[in-house]
Amino acid sequence: MTSADADDLVVIENLDFAHGYGAHQVYKGLEMRIPRGKITAVMGPSGIGKTTLLRLIGGQLKPQSGSIKFAGHDIPQLSRSALYEQRKRMSMLFQSGALFTDMTVFDNIAFPIREHSDLPDEIIETIVLMKLEAVGLRGARDLMPGELSGGMARRAALARAIALDPELIMYDEPFAGQDPISMGVIVKLIKSLNNSLGLTSVVVTHDVAEVLTIADKVFIIADKKVVAEGTPEELKASDDDLVQQFLSGDADGPVPFHYKAESFAKDILGEEADADSDAEQRKERDNA
Amino acid sequence: MLDRVAALGKAVLDNIAGAGQAMVMLLRALVGKPQIRKSWPLLMQQMYSVGVLSLVIIIVSGLFIGMVIGLQGYTILVDFGAEQSLGPMVALSLLRELGPVVTALLFAGRAGSALTAEIGLMKATEQLSSLEMMAVDPLRRVISPRFWAGFYSMPILAIIFSAVGIYGGYLVGVRWLGVDEGAFWSVMQSNVEWGQDILNGIIKSLVFAFVVTWIALHKGFHCTPTSVGISRATTSTVVTASLAVLGLDFVLTALMFG
Amino acid sequence: MESRNTQLAVGFFVIFGVLALIFLGLRAADTNVGSSNETYKLYAKFDNIGGLKERSPVKVGGVVVGRVTRITLDGDYYEPLVEMTINKQYDEFSNTSSVSILTSGLLGEQYVGLSPGFIDDTVEMLEDGDYIQDTKSALVLEDLIGQFLFSQGND
Repeated sequence: MTSADADDLVVIENLDFAHGYGAHQVYKGLEMRIPRGKITAVMGPSGIGKTTLLRLIGGQLKPQSGSIKFAGHDIPQLSRSALYEQRKRMSMLFQSGALFTDMTVFDNIAFPIREHSDLPDEIIETIVLMKLEAVGLRGARDLMPGELSGGMARRAALARAIALDPELIMYDEPFAGQDPISMGVIVKLIKSLNNSLGLTSVVVTHDVAEVLTIADKVFIIADKKVVAEGTPEELKASDDDLVQQFLSGDADGPVPFHYKAESFAKDILGEEADADSDAEQRKERDNA
Repeated sequence: MLDRVAALGKAVLDNIAGAGQAMVMLLRALVGKPQIRKSWPLLMQQMYSVGVLSLVIIIVSGLFIGMVIGLQGYTILVDFGAEQSLGPMVALSLLRELGPVVTALLFAGRAGSALTAEIGLMKATEQLSSLEMMAVDPLRRVISPRFWAGFYSMPILAIIFSAVGIYGGYLVGVRWLGVDEGAFWSVMQSNVEWGQDILNGIIKSLVFAFVVTWIALHKGFHCTPTSVGISRATTSTVVTASLAVLGLDFVLTALMFG
Repeated sequence: MESRNTQLAVGFFVIFGVLALIFLGLRAADTNVGSSNETYKLYAKFDNIGGLKERSPVKVGGVVVGRVTRITLDGDYYEPLVEMTINKQYDEFSNTSSVSILTSGLLGEQYVGLSPGFIDDTVEMLEDGDYIQDTKSALVLEDLIGQFLFSQGND
């Protein structure tokens, strides 16, 4: 372990990953260092594989090559049982919340504690109520997940994610589909939990404005690798076209508005004429 | 032409890969040291939803099928003056064939489809991924108790089905149509044997339980996690499991009674 | 408390299943000659076994004491050899006993009728694997009709 590793909880080096049998390359030569105890935001256009990144860190997917070190353990190389051992130290907040629909909120949060410890019921109850208090849902303990609003479900899931006091917590699109108020609540929760519990947080999102207010470090992923990294201030000051397009939300730019396609004229008219030049133009733009 | 060959080859390969996937899933779910204290309540929960909740449909269908065999059998046998053979006819057709097979078909429709849909939905709502990230193996936590519950429940259901069916045959044959009660039971007793008939029926039903539950769990666990994917997987569970049961029934019957 | 109800329900479910099995075992099945009971085997050669099948009963005076377990052709002249599995409870048949193939009713199944022979000091008891020498073949309806017509012709 080098000295740099000591400060970085997750170190990703030279990562190649493709879905299926190499059909769809997601990452090529990805490098990333996630600092310990900080909030790291990972941003990028939709469909770029940000969720895939979290699954790679969690060991749910295996990369074709490269290493993912979590606290010094190379996740893809671990045996099944060792991987499960490491997973106890991390947790993940899924986009949908992923609460178990057949249990109450209380049982959902008690679930990981019951699974991984032999604590008596009274202690479990204390812990669960503490976690629920932290997310402000102590009064909702006996509700079923179906009775919660989207924002409350996500907060309940957050309480479950911190139930075992993990070192790393990964948020998959925590702001997607939330109204401004619950969005604000979640932003505040991520910040306060990170500070009070000494967590390392990774937030994957494309809600730029929200995440920039709390992030200590930001990665922007595009075109299968990290294209920009730094503090929010550094990125705002960046003169990179892509960074600026992403931060300000322009429709067209280095990331094209159109998905890769034949030229429109060719598609609807079936004409061969001057289609080539059009397609070439687009290709140039794609490569830019 | 070449495309068709290629498509056929791909379909065959996909099916083989699917079977391999299912095999790996089952092995991972069942191999490993069991934790009785934690898995017992899970098993109970699943036995309840898979077994106990299927009881009503099994009892009602068993009763009616037994009554229908009693009625049909009587009208045929009475022409030959052999209505005393109604007992063995009802008992043997239920114990050897209808008990295990109809139970398996009903089970596939009632419990199998529910298992597939439940697991598919757990997958679609990321509950399975979430379990994995909580360092809880979904194969051990979700698949394994459901598998054992199906495996234990179905033979019990099949036995109940046969018993209720025989009672239904008795109701129609003896109570309604007036076959001699003593003859009904004694001729049945002299024709039905423990090992040959009852035990073989139970063995059949264990095989069906294994296959139907396995198919249902596999289809759910490996479905495409969308609403279309889940509905397809559910349909596919019922179709595949029913065909597998009928096909296997022929093979087993040929081996046991052939 | 909810899981307690679940456990109770499952418990009743299993008990119900066991009761059904007992019902099947006692009410529907023949519990006298089960596969678990101790048995021994006897053999008999016939000229013609008619419609005798494996699993046909072996009866002594109408009481089932065993079943036919195997039918093969044996010896240089391909005589039908019938293997009978007899309940150990009835193991005192002398070697003067005879077997015949009989029919229950006019159209009924064929079965093996075993008539116990006399017992005195000179005869031995049949043991596992022994052959019964005195056998009477099945009556074949066509032969009977043939004989009847033949005897009519002689009158």
